[in-house]
Amino acid sequence: MPKRPISANATALRDETMLRHVRQLGSARDGLREWRLQRLTAIALIPLGLYFAASVLWLAKSDHLTAATWLASPVTALLMMLFVFAGLAHAVVGLRSVLLDYVHTRARLVAAGLVIRAAVVVLAGASLLAILKLFLGH
Amino acid sequence: MARPLNRPLSPFMFPVWYRFQITSALSILHRLTGIGLAVGSILLAWWLISVAAGGEWFEATHAFLVSPIGLLLLFLWSVAFFYHLCNGIRHLAWDAGYGFELRSAYRSGYTVLAMTVLLTVLTWLYVLLA
Repeated sequence: MPKRPISANATALRDETMLRHVRQLGSARDGLREWRLQRLTAIALIPLGLYFAASVLWLAKSDHLTAATWLASPVTALLMMLFVFAGLAHAVVGLRSVLLDYVHTRARLVAAGLVIRAAVVVLAGASLLAILKLFLGH
Repeated sequence: MARPLNRPLSPFMFPVWYRFQITSALSILHRLTGIGLAVGSILLAWWLISVAAGGEWFEATHAFLVSPIGLLLLFLWSVAFFYHLCNGIRHLAWDAGYGFELRSAYRSGYTVLAMTVLLTVLTWLYVLLA
């Protein structure tokens, strides 16, 4: 049976990457999951972001009734939750990839990653509570 | 057996070995705007909470957002957002294997800058006129 040629396209998106077989050169520990999550959320954030950038900037200068009514709509509430979650997930991967480049001590890297994740969980939880309160209270 | 290699760690190329290029500047800008947007998500969460809380909380947040500093932050947020969005699409194209030629990389880079300006201007026209 002829051996299939190895190309970047044939291996890059699989869990079993060629990196796993690489000794010494490059990191083969982890990262593919994060790589995928970053791209997936990036694609989701294109339509969500365009809609919310316009809406949020407009709402930022509007009065309370307008903002509360807008957020109480089920479609808006759902899209807002998705926007916040996708954005924060995207931010975690992005911030960690910056850390990976500039923090060369394992312990500091882990600590900084924990701080970022804790902050993101608090932000996501707070945003979710706020959206649910406005949606359910309507 | 794997042995530790004494390779240089990033950032070692910039600025010692690289001269200024628009492509590398855009790459750094992508990271900076990404970090800025992550910090900006605090403002978004804060605003959502203030709408949910209502009353004095909302009044205080609203007053801050329409103050010169608040408007400047919103403006910077929008510029960072549109830049990161446009350049992110450029990155997605690269991930799919398109646009690696030097000419394409430069052309898409300038397109990203032009689109950032265009989208920012259109958004603020909409915000100010709506």
